[in-house]
Amino acid sequence: MTDKQVLIKVEGLQKDFGEKKVLQGIDIEIDQGDVVVVIGPSGSGKSTFLRTLNLLEVPTGGRIFFEGVDITDKTVDINLHRRKMGMVFQQFNLFPHMTVLGNMTLSPIKVLKMPKAEAEKKALSLLARVGLADRAESYPGQLSGGQKQRVAIARALCMDPDVLLFDEPTSALDPEMVGEVLDVMKQLAANHTTMVVVTHEMGFAREVGNRVLFMDEGKIAEEGAPTDIFGNPQSDRLKEFLSKVL
Amino acid sequence: MNFVTFEMWLEGVPDWILALPDWLQNFMYQFYQTFIFEQRYMLFLNGLKITAIVTVGALAMGIVLGLIVAIIRTSNDSFVSRKPPFILRIFNAICKIYLTVIRGTPMMVQLLIMGFVIMVPKTETEIIVCAIVTLGINSGAYVAEIARSGLMSIDAGQSEAARSLGLSYFKTMWYVVIPQAIKNILPALGNEMITLLKDTSLVSVIALRDVTKQAQNIVSKTYQAYVPYISLAAIYLAIVMLLTWLLSLLERRLRKSDR
Repeated sequence: MTDKQVLIKVEGLQKDFGEKKVLQGIDIEIDQGDVVVVIGPSGSGKSTFLRTLNLLEVPTGGRIFFEGVDITDKTVDINLHRRKMGMVFQQFNLFPHMTVLGNMTLSPIKVLKMPKAEAEKKALSLLARVGLADRAESYPGQLSGGQKQRVAIARALCMDPDVLLFDEPTSALDPEMVGEVLDVMKQLAANHTTMVVVTHEMGFAREVGNRVLFMDEGKIAEEGAPTDIFGNPQSDRLKEFLSKVL
Repeated sequence: MNFVTFEMWLEGVPDWILALPDWLQNFMYQFYQTFIFEQRYMLFLNGLKITAIVTVGALAMGIVLGLIVAIIRTSNDSFVSRKPPFILRIFNAICKIYLTVIRGTPMMVQLLIMGFVIMVPKTETEIIVCAIVTLGINSGAYVAEIARSGLMSIDAGQSEAARSLGLSYFKTMWYVVIPQAIKNILPALGNEMITLLKDTSLVSVIALRDVTKQAQNIVSKTYQAYVPYISLAAIYLAIVMLLTWLLSLLERRLRKSDR
């Protein structure tokens, strides 16, 4: 028995882009405090899977329950649920016309109706946590890639999300900046933040993840603890994949 | 008496003018006729007032209309893998017809139809409203395509990031997409503003006494076209230069985030 609460439950998830079947039936439960790392070859549907979780991609079939609510139901106000699902993108997607502080406080002020002073105070303390307290008044164009991604993470945290979705957060970074972003993510994992991370960083998957999903051709081909996935792969596809990336 | 001959004018002027060359005297005489006699500068000022009201009104209407049409068109086109909702397809079809009809017919013809077929204004206020509506509808069609290019120029990741933070579609548009789009379309929008300002000179066909009409009136009184029309051109040029300068200030302000 486990006292962990199911946060996200995915049932028979499918997604087609026209004729192309990108997701072909995915079933998984993600518990509170899980750090789920999704790996797999490119084109296997990892990013699409992650993006369906907060309905940035609308599934063609199947259901997604988030905190017990079926968010694929057309009558559900998805905006209410997205507030609690932070997302960090490969290309950072900071708003270039706003300062770092403006980026971080936009949603707390406009969506949660938080007073400006309170939102800024919170943003500043989160900025300090990602080591960028001195960049509050900078514009995204003045930051390095690693700094941008740390701001993006802090921006997502401003909404106090129940889960953070990472879509290849380090893939667009120069190698020397990958570490600073991964450090922030490790810190979050250590604080028991629920995370779903699509990544090519196998070291991170092994070290930080408590569950690893290996996706291939729109399905979860293998799933398990990092030690099993990396130490004792079962399927030929996973063995082949690992031999290429490790 | 609404006319002064050159000889009559010469009798009234100070002596130093008599010593000037003929062409300069002639020019000063025409200038006098155009602006000073019977306080005709007031005609220009009143005309300018109407030109300004029509331009600003039509511009505001054009921007609002254009933005609405652009948002409908882009959100309809954003559905790639599946069909847009029925209601959106209806709106999109209406927008397309609007763009086709308005961009496909001359502004002058639109003014004639609005002025003499559809609205048929009687009082001066009604004529001004008619002019604003016609020019606003016309301008909206062009602004719509400019705004659409602006909205499409913003990376999809921007709205995805905003939506993932829980912002609604309209808040995403308002706080994230539109401010960036405006920066990108400002030069094209400036072009449209200038075109609109100059197109207000057509409103004389529905008997509105804008600055162009007033210049024509003066020519018909003095039988001299040179000074009134050159002055008219100078007036438009001055306003356009002022507008261009204001736009460049605005653009510089908006660019402050890309240092």
